[in-house]
Amino acid sequence: MAGLLQNASLWGDDIPWLCALREKGTDVFTRLGVPGAKVEDWKYTKPRLLNADDFVLPEAPAQHSCSCGCEDYCDEGCGCRRNIPLDAYQIHFKNGFRHPEHNHFPEGVTVLPLDEAIAGNEDCRRYLGKIADIETAPFAALNTAYLENGVFINIARGIKLDKPLVIICHTCAGERNLFYNLRNLVVMESGSEAEIVEYFHYDGIEKSRYFVNVVNEIAVGKNAVLKHYKCQDDAYKAAHVSLSAVQIKAGGRYQNFCLQKGADMGRNEVRVKLQDKGAEARVDAAYKMSGWATLDTTTVIEHLSPETYSEQLVKGVVDGEAKGVFQGKIHIAPHAVHTEGRQLHKALLLSDTAEIDCKPELEIFADDVKCSHGAASGELDEEQLFYMRSRGIDEDEARRILVEAFLDDVLLKVDSEPVRNWLKTML
Amino acid sequence: MKPLLEIEDLHARVGDKEIIKGFNLTINEGEVHAVMGPNGAGKSTLSYVLTGKPGYEITSGTIRFKGKDLIAMSAEERAREGIFLCMQYPVEIPGVPTATFLKHAVNAARKHQNLPEMDTFEFLKLVREEGRKLGIDNEMIKRPVNVGFSGGEKKRLETLQMSILKPELSILDEADSGLDIDALKVVAGGVNALRDGQRSMLVITHYQRLLNYIVPDYVHIFADGHIVKSGDKNLALELEEKGYADFVREK
Ligand SMILES: Nc1ncnc2c1ncn2[C@@H]1O[C@H](COP(=O)(O)OP(=O)(O)O)[C@@H](O)[C@H]1O
Ligand SMILES: [Mg+2]
Repeated sequence: MAGLLQNASLWGDDIPWLCALREKGTDVFTRLGVPGAKVEDWKYTKPRLLNADDFVLPEAPAQHSCSCGCEDYCDEGCGCRRNIPLDAYQIHFKNGFRHPEHNHFPEGVTVLPLDEAIAGNEDCRRYLGKIADIETAPFAALNTAYLENGVFINIARGIKLDKPLVIICHTCAGERNLFYNLRNLVVMESGSEAEIVEYFHYDGIEKSRYFVNVVNEIAVGKNAVLKHYKCQDDAYKAAHVSLSAVQIKAGGRYQNFCLQKGADMGRNEVRVKLQDKGAEARVDAAYKMSGWATLDTTTVIEHLSPETYSEQLVKGVVDGEAKGVFQGKIHIAPHAVHTEGRQLHKALLLSDTAEIDCKPELEIFADDVKCSHGAASGELDEEQLFYMRSRGIDEDEARRILVEAFLDDVLLKVDSEPVRNWLKTML
Repeated sequence: MKPLLEIEDLHARVGDKEIIKGFNLTINEGEVHAVMGPNGAGKSTLSYVLTGKPGYEITSGTIRFKGKDLIAMSAEERAREGIFLCMQYPVEIPGVPTATFLKHAVNAARKHQNLPEMDTFEFLKLVREEGRKLGIDNEMIKRPVNVGFSGGEKKRLETLQMSILKPELSILDEADSGLDIDALKVVAGGVNALRDGQRSMLVITHYQRLLNYIVPDYVHIFADGHIVKSGDKNLALELEEKGYADFVREK
């Protein structure tokens, strides 16, 4: 019998700053706890699953059988080596633990297991725990309490990563209600460019229960460009909570696209601070679900300087008794004039019992800004359906085509064509 | 002469309003019939009833197509059996490229005929050949279905679909609405190319003009939910001269 906070023996208990960070995480989570119905930020998405008392923390895997690390690194036959069809650098995690791999990164690209970076990298120490505000994010606090596994990525000044870097997170829960945390830190130095993809999937045992809790801290330097894509395809009884906290310097550009399609309770939260003039963010998302799932897209965009720009398009398709949640806040600080913030949420409801909760929030404290939000939800267009059927296309097929068409424009926000095509195959 | 479509004493309604009231019509293989009626007579309703649009309820009567009960079939089954409706107001489908849509339609028909799916090369060749005759270029079929198309482009796309699917029965609902004379000639050319003595057509129109280009074998005047008078193509000219009021009163 065990809840989310357990006594775990974690690596690095001889590093004082790390211990202090973890302790703070523990304290904050102890204080905040699993959000109940009264917590405004979580009023639509009830993390009921996370009140369970049978969570099990995964054990670190035994030494891998393969000496070169490129083969057989999972001998459980669970399919966790499943690669994705992209010409990309791939980093694999299984149940939160990293598998060795053979990537040869170009000069100026540092990719380290988080613990190694904690032990020896100055930038890691400088940024870790400084970008995500755990006081307002209970699960980020929880994640901090367990700070140990994840990846540290640093792209040096002016370097362009030549291929996308894909972080594949595989869960193989078995009979246990597995709980694990992942913490990634990405530091994009001035003028650097990269594409990072997160992919969450599981071993195909649909009924497995588990909870993946992810925090990404991301620093986008001056004129740097980071394209950050994600596909969440977890098991349908699983819980997935993720916070990406991003800070962007002058002229930096950050693009985030998240496709959520798995899990019983999924929340993808992106918080962006546009810190200096010319900083730009696109935060787009798509979700598609049925059954009883609740999938939540929450964004907080803070325009903290003049001439900053943000745009969001979020589109979802909800079937069965599922519920889609979108909470989008745009904050424009008092002196942040000549900024633009736009947000649009559109949902397609495929059944009478499907539900949408949408909460846009604009906090505008500056004059001379362009800020807008919009929301719409509807059903499949009967005229379009009939038009297709009158051409001999099956009703089911016609529905499928229309759903795909509905999501088409949001998928086009994914700049990278190979990533976009791969995401399309996931729909 | 083999009957293709047999409609007997058809009554149909939309919502609680009865619009088709005792409609009878038989179309044999190879024949072109025109149904003419004033605005609001129920012409579009008739076309939807024949193609199985949801919301159009048949309260009594029978429709047979190639001897089979048409009413029992879904909209898509009717299409695959060989009925095509060239719509008065073609529907816009944002996000679906015209070519993709056409390919789905072609392959649905091929599947029904137990033929393998058409490969992309073959398909594009077909579309290019048929499209050229109708002034439809590659750019147009890359655009989403009917989105931003002019009235003429929409009707040409309807005609292209008809040319590709080669239906046994084409129902044309106001094929000339919104067309200038040049566009009308192009559309009529496409329609006439399908007249091979086997395929049949039901040309629904308010105006006689269209029938100068698609010359019917029979003309029926449709008012108050049923046919009030039938004749040959000269009936259309007579109607043009006298106006609908005379015929409705005759009854
Ligand atoms: N969906 C509908 N709901 C209610 N009434 C309708 C609907 N469609 C058509 N009607 C009515 O049915 C009658 C016939 O319409 P329609 O078939 O479009 O005529 P036509 O094509 O001959 O101009 C009109 O009075 C019209 O208002
Ligand atoms: Mg009409």
